[in-house]
Amino acid sequence: MACDLMTDNDHGSPISGGPLDASQLLCRIGEELAFVTPGKDNGLLPINHFLLDLEELPVAEIPEAWTVGLRVARGWIDVILDGPGLFSENSIRRLNDWHGFMSSILDSRASGRGLPAWPSDWGEPAARVEDLPAVDPASAPSGTVSDGNEPSFCLNLDEDLELLNEFHSESLELLQTIEQGVLVLESNPTDTETVNSIFRAFHTFKGGAGFLHLDPPRNLAHELETVLDLVRRSELHIDSGIINLILAGGDALEQFTRAIGAQLQGIAPGSPIVVPTSEIIRRAKAAARGETEAPSCSPPERSLTDAPASQIPPPEQAITAPVHQPAAPEATPPPAAPAAPVREPVGGDPAGGFVKLDTAKLDSLVDLVGELVVAQSMVVENSEVQAIASSQFVRQLRQLRRITSDLQNTAMSMRMVPVRGAFQKMTRLVRDLAASGGKQIQLLLEGEETELDRNMVEKLGDPLVHMMRNSVDHGIESQDERMARGKPAQGTIRLSAAHQRGGIVIRLSDDGKGLDPARIRAKAIERGLIRVDTEMDASEIVSLIFLPGFSTAEAVTDLSGRGVGMDVVRSNIEGLSGKIEVQSVPGEGTTFTLLLPLTLAIIDGMLVGVGDDRYIIPTLSIRESFRPQPGMVSTIQGRGEVVSVRGRQTPLLRLGRYLGRPARATNLEDAIIVVVESGDAARGLVVDELLGKQEVVIKSLGQTFRHQNLLAGSAVLGDGSVGLILDVDTLVKTPAHQNAIAAATAAAPNP
Amino acid sequence: MTTPPPNLNAALAKAGRYLTFGLGVEIYGLPVMNVREIIRLCPITPVPRMPDFIKGVINLRGTVIPVLDLRAKFQMPEAVYSERACIIVVQVRNPTGGSTLIGSIVDTVEEVVQFNESQLEPAPDFGGSPETQFILGLATLSGSVKTLLDPEKVFLAEGLLTLTPAQAPEPQTTHS
Repeated sequence: MACDLMTDNDHGSPISGGPLDASQLLCRIGEELAFVTPGKDNGLLPINHFLLDLEELPVAEIPEAWTVGLRVARGWIDVILDGPGLFSENSIRRLNDWHGFMSSILDSRASGRGLPAWPSDWGEPAARVEDLPAVDPASAPSGTVSDGNEPSFCLNLDEDLELLNEFHSESLELLQTIEQGVLVLESNPTDTETVNSIFRAFHTFKGGAGFLHLDPPRNLAHELETVLDLVRRSELHIDSGIINLILAGGDALEQFTRAIGAQLQGIAPGSPIVVPTSEIIRRAKAAARGETEAPSCSPPERSLTDAPASQIPPPEQAITAPVHQPAAPEATPPPAAPAAPVREPVGGDPAGGFVKLDTAKLDSLVDLVGELVVAQSMVVENSEVQAIASSQFVRQLRQLRRITSDLQNTAMSMRMVPVRGAFQKMTRLVRDLAASGGKQIQLLLEGEETELDRNMVEKLGDPLVHMMRNSVDHGIESQDERMARGKPAQGTIRLSAAHQRGGIVIRLSDDGKGLDPARIRAKAIERGLIRVDTEMDASEIVSLIFLPGFSTAEAVTDLSGRGVGMDVVRSNIEGLSGKIEVQSVPGEGTTFTLLLPLTLAIIDGMLVGVGDDRYIIPTLSIRESFRPQPGMVSTIQGRGEVVSVRGRQTPLLRLGRYLGRPARATNLEDAIIVVVESGDAARGLVVDELLGKQEVVIKSLGQTFRHQNLLAGSAVLGDGSVGLILDVDTLVKTPAHQNAIAAATAAAPNP
Repeated sequence: MTTPPPNLNAALAKAGRYLTFGLGVEIYGLPVMNVREIIRLCPITPVPRMPDFIKGVINLRGTVIPVLDLRAKFQMPEAVYSERACIIVVQVRNPTGGSTLIGSIVDTVEEVVQFNESQLEPAPDFGGSPETQFILGLATLSGSVKTLLDPEKVFLAEGLLTLTPAQAPEPQTTHS
């Protein structure tokens, strides 16, 4: 049950912060206990509920006193629930004692001190429990079942869940280290630091897999580690064979990791995992053997020549050479205490300036800090508080406000990660795409250290891949074509990131053939996206590529040009509250510019009033707002109301009417028009008043409202009430607008 | 809780503790397991274009949760909430995993009652009354009958929470 409380990572559930751990639950019980009163039932249900959660919480190595303590409390609560349903002084005192007792058990676990004494008036802790869910590593291993030539294994999801989760997330990082390292080695095969980091990654992977008794990946990692170790000792030289071997090995380990990840997410849990490794292991052994002739000295490790070449992967490692003895002290992986919440960073940063922590905890911290900011401003704005005429108090309040805002900034910054990870994935992609397309392409990365909310970085991956494929497939010409045009044979793609105006700008530019406005225009007319006589300038024409159903790919490759195109990219980016623009010079290249907010968790919002309601409009979507002058707004038969702003006709949407809520202003001159845009469409929203700009922490509206697209989320406002964030995209693309378009082309009936 | 077959309400109510509450003249019960907490009625932010039984959303210590009006859900006449009205915060499992907190306005909260097997009986067919599908069973306690509700049916019914007159087809816009 406790696991069910976990939020979906995509902000799906309204319960913030994921599952509570034992100390948090205990803390909540403590909070509730502070408010219980004899003769009342206040707090009974929450306490009951938190206790239920505690009972179902899987805790490794729990002292028996904890289990018995839970049972005792369960008994008391049940008595209250079954009986009067009210607390008595006695029951409150006992529960408070119990809370202290349980807390000290947790403390003693953390500090290593002895367990607290069992309170005598609770009766005997007689009932001894046999079914303590103690972790027994010996029973954890999963059977190594042979499936043909490839060994398979099963996960012990019940017992190793936490460890597997950790192994999984750690492996993802290790794989990234490996992949990035290989790319460095390609250009600089003698980079010892990189060789070391790949070696350590395989080594750590092996350690983790070995701990969990996942033999096939462990064996594979072991073989690769052996090869890397030889490289590290300069007994083997990096060549394309070795690089491909490492890549293949990394891919196989990634398949293992993915399979584990899938099972952790509940897809076919417990089913055997098979990934072909024998071929890679054979190659690794061959590489380790074949290349070892080069150096003059003949270390004992070379005894592994004894291993037969054609052998099927050994169930246990056949090679016993002590090759993985790390040379540098920091190369030692952290094999111990895999259950500890805080671990040494992978890659062994000697200063140890980092801790790994559960993202759910981090999100919950950010949520709580958001609450603190709101609570703080509620206190400050309270009229009774404001009546206090003490300069000292005012100073203290100011101090409080400053600290809260610093705290918020710090908490937010903790979620910031460099875009490096997302960028470096592109290196591999371009390398593969260029190879399969027979093109020579170099990718230049800039500003990889630019930081962005980690949720954003994750969601940026897909659009980046798509754009990159477009550039490689359709942007950069073939070598012959380039030479004929007097360009260098090697094409260049530049991917850069930089902070700008409180957001981030990501640019992707290529020196390829650029977009051909004439072709795009012809295509758009053919697809019925524009009319033959529509007048557009070149930049408007190239923007047509973002329209749904537009694709200029002449040859459909397996990677792009499948009809889904830049419209998907644009909707992805707009889903991140961002914008995308394109500039292109025929023959010289194309540049895509993404403008994104730094975080998805906080947006700059404009608070607007409609009747008694308040709504939030993301500032990034607002082009301008103004009070309409007489004559600016005209009603056009069949097109609804249109406001004329600097020569552009923008259709109006009366927000109150549209939302079915009463608005105050009936006369447009008393109202305010907020012009919002999404893509290349714009709308003037008619609201009653502007209430001010503010940064808001976005809260998901949760499952209940998942079917609607009117609201993008909600936020807790300064007074503690909820404000709804409008989904600008929906408002801009709402049917009245479509009718207007329809009316422009055909005589559509009045909406 | 297992997913019951549709239209088969018999023997679904399990013995156990239920929180009983009043709605109009009737008394209902919800399994205590599903009740997270009970809070006082507080200002609710209305959510536009929602069915009328969705009262809106509230801020529950930093989490935004929807609030339903069970009167409206059960198609009872509207009433002015009295001092005793409160919001029961219910936790239900999503079919897709995870769980959801949903608030529900009721007229009064009564008590937590333990019902055993002998007090429970399956719900009779009320002849297509809207609330039949939400009922786990009936419980009799000292002569009065209480209707036990199926939290997952009441609070998670698919399709009930979609936008009212939805009208957002694919637009084919270029620019205005």
